[in-house]
Amino acid sequence: MKILSRFCLALSLATALSSVPLWGAPAFAQDNQAAEDVEMRKQLDLFAEVFAMVRDNYVEDISDEDLIDGALNGALSSLDPHSSYLPAEDHQERQKNARREYGGLGIEVTLESGLVKVNYVIPDGPAAKQGIKRGDFITAVEGEKVLGKTLNDAVDGMRGLAGDPINVTVLSADNTTREVTVIREKILGRAVRHRVEEGVGYIYIESFNHPRLTDDVKTAVEELKSELGGRLPGLIIDVRSNPGGRVDQVVNVTGYFLDGGEVFSSSGRDKTFTKRYHADQGELIPEVPIVVLINSQSASAAEIIAGALQDRNRALVVGRRSFGKGSVQSIMNVKSEGALRLTTERYYTPSGRSIQGLGIMPDVLVSARPESETTRKRFRESDLKNSLGKEMDVEEEDFDAMVFPSESWPDDEDFQLSKAIELVKSPNLKSQLSAKNTLIRYR
Amino acid sequence: MKYILPTLGAIAATGLFAFSSVSYTANAKDTSSRVDTFKQLELFADVLARVRTEYVVDVDDAELIEGALNGMLQSLDPHSSYINPEAFKRMQTTTSGEYGGLGMEVTTESGVVKVVAPIDDSPAKDAGIKAGDYITEIDGESILGVSLNEAVDRMRGKPGEPITITVIRGEEDPLEFDLVRAVIKSRKTKWEVKDGVGYLRIPQFNEQTYETLEGAVKALKKEFNGNIPGIVLDLRGNPGGLLDQSVKVSSAFLDGGEVVSTRGRRADDVTRLSAKNGELVKGVPLVVLIDGASASASEIVAGAVQDRNRGIVLGMTSFGKGSVQAVVPLRGGRDGALRLTTQRYYTPSGRSIQGTGITPDISVAASADDGKDNHRLSESDLPNSIQNELATEDAEVEIKIEYPPEGFDEDGDYQLDRAIQILKDGSYKTKLAELQ
Repeated sequence: MKILSRFCLALSLATALSSVPLWGAPAFAQDNQAAEDVEMRKQLDLFAEVFAMVRDNYVEDISDEDLIDGALNGALSSLDPHSSYLPAEDHQERQKNARREYGGLGIEVTLESGLVKVNYVIPDGPAAKQGIKRGDFITAVEGEKVLGKTLNDAVDGMRGLAGDPINVTVLSADNTTREVTVIREKILGRAVRHRVEEGVGYIYIESFNHPRLTDDVKTAVEELKSELGGRLPGLIIDVRSNPGGRVDQVVNVTGYFLDGGEVFSSSGRDKTFTKRYHADQGELIPEVPIVVLINSQSASAAEIIAGALQDRNRALVVGRRSFGKGSVQSIMNVKSEGALRLTTERYYTPSGRSIQGLGIMPDVLVSARPESETTRKRFRESDLKNSLGKEMDVEEEDFDAMVFPSESWPDDEDFQLSKAIELVKSPNLKSQLSAKNTLIRYR
Repeated sequence: MKYILPTLGAIAATGLFAFSSVSYTANAKDTSSRVDTFKQLELFADVLARVRTEYVVDVDDAELIEGALNGMLQSLDPHSSYINPEAFKRMQTTTSGEYGGLGMEVTTESGVVKVVAPIDDSPAKDAGIKAGDYITEIDGESILGVSLNEAVDRMRGKPGEPITITVIRGEEDPLEFDLVRAVIKSRKTKWEVKDGVGYLRIPQFNEQTYETLEGAVKALKKEFNGNIPGIVLDLRGNPGGLLDQSVKVSSAFLDGGEVVSTRGRRADDVTRLSAKNGELVKGVPLVVLIDGASASASEIVAGAVQDRNRGIVLGMTSFGKGSVQAVVPLRGGRDGALRLTTQRYYTPSGRSIQGTGITPDISVAASADDGKDNHRLSESDLPNSIQNELATEDAEVEIKIEYPPEGFDEDGDYQLDRAIQILKDGSYKTKLAELQ
């Protein structure tokens, strides 16, 4: 009985395995394939045996599903830190959460002298419709005073479901207080922040996940242009601590600053199949000097834009060596209605550099903080346990060449940005870029 | 170095194979559950096939399955695990041959290696490593997220080899300790005469524990001319060990009768383990000392003494490791082995030790801050630990804890002082009678 049932389990595994087409394997490799299958079957036998043993002898009743969930999770996470298995329940919950609609007022706020100050009002948003303006203070939410609350608590009080009304007390710049009822709406926050910094344009991209990013970047560039009298003397693109996001967004955004050509490529195990992603023809701001700001938390898509503009000599990259997450995960649905998050490809910059484990090395190394042991040490992808291997040697940051702020540099001032502004304004930027060109060619 | 879990390999493994055929008949339920099993295994094979074809680099099948087995076993509880062939081989040399270690019992908490207790006279204890320390680095390399097996492996090595470990203790900055691996001897039961009573210290339950206890009792008898006025049995910081030794040790103080029962999932899967007749120290007053680092076999002894009203248990609530792991070699160990939780321990009155531990009859703290933060590591703090199925509201009853008086000598042992006091001031008999 025992032997038979174990045999059945093993058999069913083997059948299931061979029913999955092993495509991607060329025909001439079949002998090799057969040997691999035997090995795999042996391993699956072992698994089935252990599975039955655990299920029947564990101290408590356990469901087959929980056991398999645990096993799949273990198998996937043994590959690298970004691969995982999402059990059916979690997967569905996640999808549901993504659909659930929260509403907001359409404002961005900060805390100033204990009050909530409106920093930005989304045009046509619910707050804008009620005449709330930038610079207004919110002193009470639903009659409850804001004073003494943390920003998080105050903001939490304003969140709710879209369509629900909320009462806020607004103190305007002219010192008048009024009560306003705002109907919450589903809000898509801004994808970018932009402003003029010391006569040059500055764009901060928080992540590449926003569906409206491409449009927002374009709008931002145009607004900066008109603010500076139609001509941009320089542009800083800040992707520091940007964790990455969608491939289409980064290709579009990078494409604004390149006149066609490759942005990045990706390839999986079979290196003969390489996907190349290209920029559209026509630049948004040709000839305008660009500096890209990165740090050790700039990852994935953020490294793609930095790498592309660096390799194509379009921008000077400034800051610290980036995180080094140069792998692509694909979400695959499986029979269980759960899903697989599996690393399937690596990213490469236009010159063919792999990003995985290496990151992008800035052209000009600038530290945010004064020199110290902790400033030097940064946590990156290659520090993650079990991270996917790198294909080349890591080039370490040259601390002798790194620019550090002095000890007296104030904490709330952005040293890296100040250096970026200096560089983007420098008349030498062009020659710096072309010097880099030769370097890359001979590397 | 061993884990906190008892290595019950031989005993439990046989048991496992003996009842696995029973389990199959018991589990051959309806077809629907078998269909579900089928579906689940198919899913597993399906996912593996996709990983093999689509992962970014070539995948080693054996590694993938090892990951799956690890994931499956670890999802059960903190003490179940898969031991790969290499580690299993090493484990066997560990129990038989000589190896160098640091001499501490470790466990994991949210993926971080945590010290349960350093062993007496070991490099770890001598260096000043304390119970509750988190080990974050070995030789400068982070071990965060590393499995317990692997962390233990890395701490082992040749005797005489140096090792540096980084420890996080409370809010302090990380501390670095330079240690030299040493042969961790099977530690024996020690005896002493303290303030006119007999003191027995069992540091762990290994093959020699009972034998050396017998010798120690003999020596004490000689010392007291055959008339021991009282015994303190110190099980503090004792992480457990072999189950059969805990039964034998209990026999020294009990004249036959049940010591512990182990129960599996099915109601009929009960094994009762009894003390041999003829206790060694009949009628001698007994106080058993326990603390938060007394686990497993220690809790069995304390629980039996308490339930059978043989003595007074004094100290702090014990660890609460009341589950039994079977070590099952796969294909003779060529495919490694499983460490699987198969049973729970119950005291003679039927209390489960798992999660709750043994609550002392008299709660006495070692120091002013002992137990005050109420967050000493215990089994129920471990992520994913098996809960005590008998736990009731009663477990929440507030326990009055005696603390050492202000100005008590830091090097003194308040718990031991109190134990000796009870044996000598005549309160023992009334207290014991009250507990009955």
